[in-house]
Amino acid sequence: MTALDDAPPAHAQPPAPASPGRWLLHWSPRLIVLLVIVYVFLIRMPADQLYAPIAQDAAIYAIVGLSLNILLGYTGQLSLGHNGFYGIGAFAAAYALTVHQVPFGLTFLVAAVSGALFALVMGAVALRITGLYLALITLVFGLTLEDSLFQIAFLTNEGAGQPANRPSWLFDETTYFYFCLAFLVAALILDWLLLRSKIGRALLALKENERVAEAFGINVTMYKLLAFVISGALCGVAGALFAYRVGLVVGSGFGFNLALTFVLMTVVGGLGSRIGVVLGAVLFASLSYVLEETFLHGVNSFVFRFQDAEQYIVGFLGALGLILTLVQYPGGIGQQIKPITRWLGGKRFSLHDDEDSGPAAVEGSSVRA
Amino acid sequence: MTSELVALEIVAPAISGLIQGSVYGLLGLGIVLLYKSSKIFNFAQAEFGGVAAFTWVFFDTGKGFLPDLPTPLAVLVGVIAAVLVALLTERIVVRPLFNAPKITVVVATAGVLLLLIALEGFTYGSTAGIFPAVFPGVAYTGGAGIRVTDQGVAIMVTLAVLSIAAALFFSRTRIGTAIIAVSQEPTATRLVGISVERISSLTWALAGFLAGVAGILLAGTVGLAAPGSLTGLALVPAFTAAVFGGITSLPGALVGGLVIGVIEAEAQTNIPKEALPGAGKVALFLALLIVLLIKPAGLLGKET
Repeated sequence: MTALDDAPPAHAQPPAPASPGRWLLHWSPRLIVLLVIVYVFLIRMPADQLYAPIAQDAAIYAIVGLSLNILLGYTGQLSLGHNGFYGIGAFAAAYALTVHQVPFGLTFLVAAVSGALFALVMGAVALRITGLYLALITLVFGLTLEDSLFQIAFLTNEGAGQPANRPSWLFDETTYFYFCLAFLVAALILDWLLLRSKIGRALLALKENERVAEAFGINVTMYKLLAFVISGALCGVAGALFAYRVGLVVGSGFGFNLALTFVLMTVVGGLGSRIGVVLGAVLFASLSYVLEETFLHGVNSFVFRFQDAEQYIVGFLGALGLILTLVQYPGGIGQQIKPITRWLGGKRFSLHDDEDSGPAAVEGSSVRA
Repeated sequence: MTSELVALEIVAPAISGLIQGSVYGLLGLGIVLLYKSSKIFNFAQAEFGGVAAFTWVFFDTGKGFLPDLPTPLAVLVGVIAAVLVALLTERIVVRPLFNAPKITVVVATAGVLLLLIALEGFTYGSTAGIFPAVFPGVAYTGGAGIRVTDQGVAIMVTLAVLSIAAALFFSRTRIGTAIIAVSQEPTATRLVGISVERISSLTWALAGFLAGVAGILLAGTVGLAAPGSLTGLALVPAFTAAVFGGITSLPGALVGGLVIGVIEAEAQTNIPKEALPGAGKVALFLALLIVLLIKPAGLLGKET
């Protein structure tokens, strides 16, 4: 026996609160903080008809982020083509609703299936093409879709755009935000269940080492395809939500910038971290609005006088954030806010990663697949 | 099919395709160089050219407080800007990630691309502007819409000159062989006393130079450019060219560029827009997919 053995382990839990009073003292500040966050961001702000569309965007982006996270965060496959699945979902929903009078609820299924089908094709390609080449081919896939499929006359209503009108009970922007939020919650639960299941463990094993995974009897082909299909379906649903958010789906706007934005927000948010991905999505969805409303707008119009700065500032800051994340903080936002999330989860507040987030965890949850 | 129709539908797009393809080849050359030296794809390659084009136009027209330089000087400044941006990218993004997985570096170059587009947007604005040809004038006018501009001739000549120069550089000069050596055997190269870091900077500078020349010529040929439009126009074809020729082969990238240029132009002209919008892009995607699926080593690349 050495003295070391007697020392408490570095990741000792705070002593379990014994009495009801201590229990209350332990949990009430955490509960209050959570309630304030919920009140401000999920009740107070969306109640405003002006903010609600931004909140909708944030929820929709978060679903895309989760979808991308399944591929990039869990299996380590980089897809720069999620703008394609997103656009397919949007067009499929709008087309089914407006041209074929498919019931509103079913259009989401249509969008999910269309996204999944295209993702299946992409996944089949990914079986043979990996790494850098996969990044390239997914990028080209998304760009090609924007230039060809999304310009086809019958889909785009002869180029005028395909209308996607919400049913009357969703006209209100706030109501529609809660509708999107419900989808986000469902996606989060799905993601949680997925990661806990056999599938999730198989996907993580794939990321670490395909050959080893195969040697352990994991069907690499099937799970890779499955990851693509789930991701594509989720992204398709997000696209459908986007279609009803804007009301008119046009062919442009699903291009390069969107593809990069999706990857940026997921990486900056923190791969493999659910909260991080959602926060990254919120950040990127609201960035342009926040910048417009805050002092940066004034700084630009009086000091720099850049033309059209608002349009580019999001890309600028996003790119800076991405490079900073990759070079300096590979865990992204999810890693940086770990002390807070840990505290909310009932642990002691500590800035140091003392348990599940050593260098290995950072490595595992970074883009460094 | 009459000879006039053949000229209009086959020959004319082939000529414009060869000219466009030369630009793709130049960009592809830079992509191959960087792949050989750093084993990465540089998604910002076409936008290095965009930076050159915008800088050139700023100085050519004397925008704002900038001096109004004569065209050759402005072109030179534009190319220098592209080289500087490439060097900065290497120093700030690529070198710190030297030991990171390559896919990380590729995502980072996509970040650089977005950053460059934003910088162009800040300084130029979002609306597309007119980019004059460096060499105005028409060199040859034939019947049935066949027309070759001076700019087109200049592009072909540039490609020829630069490819010969590249061939000589990589086979005859010490620095050129050092670059090849680093790409093949970095550790051994370091052991014989060659600074791998310096060679890496040099490779990026070369790639920036090639992209700068290509960007200025391409912007002038297309005539209109907005921030990021050069990437939209040339990034995918340039990559397709590089992969088509075998991602490690310099002559392969040049040949690939010409082939890809012709394929794109022919598809764009001969497949009606109503049947398949963006046929040129679809053809590129299919070409890339087929090459990667059937012969990943490309036409002139070696199996690795």
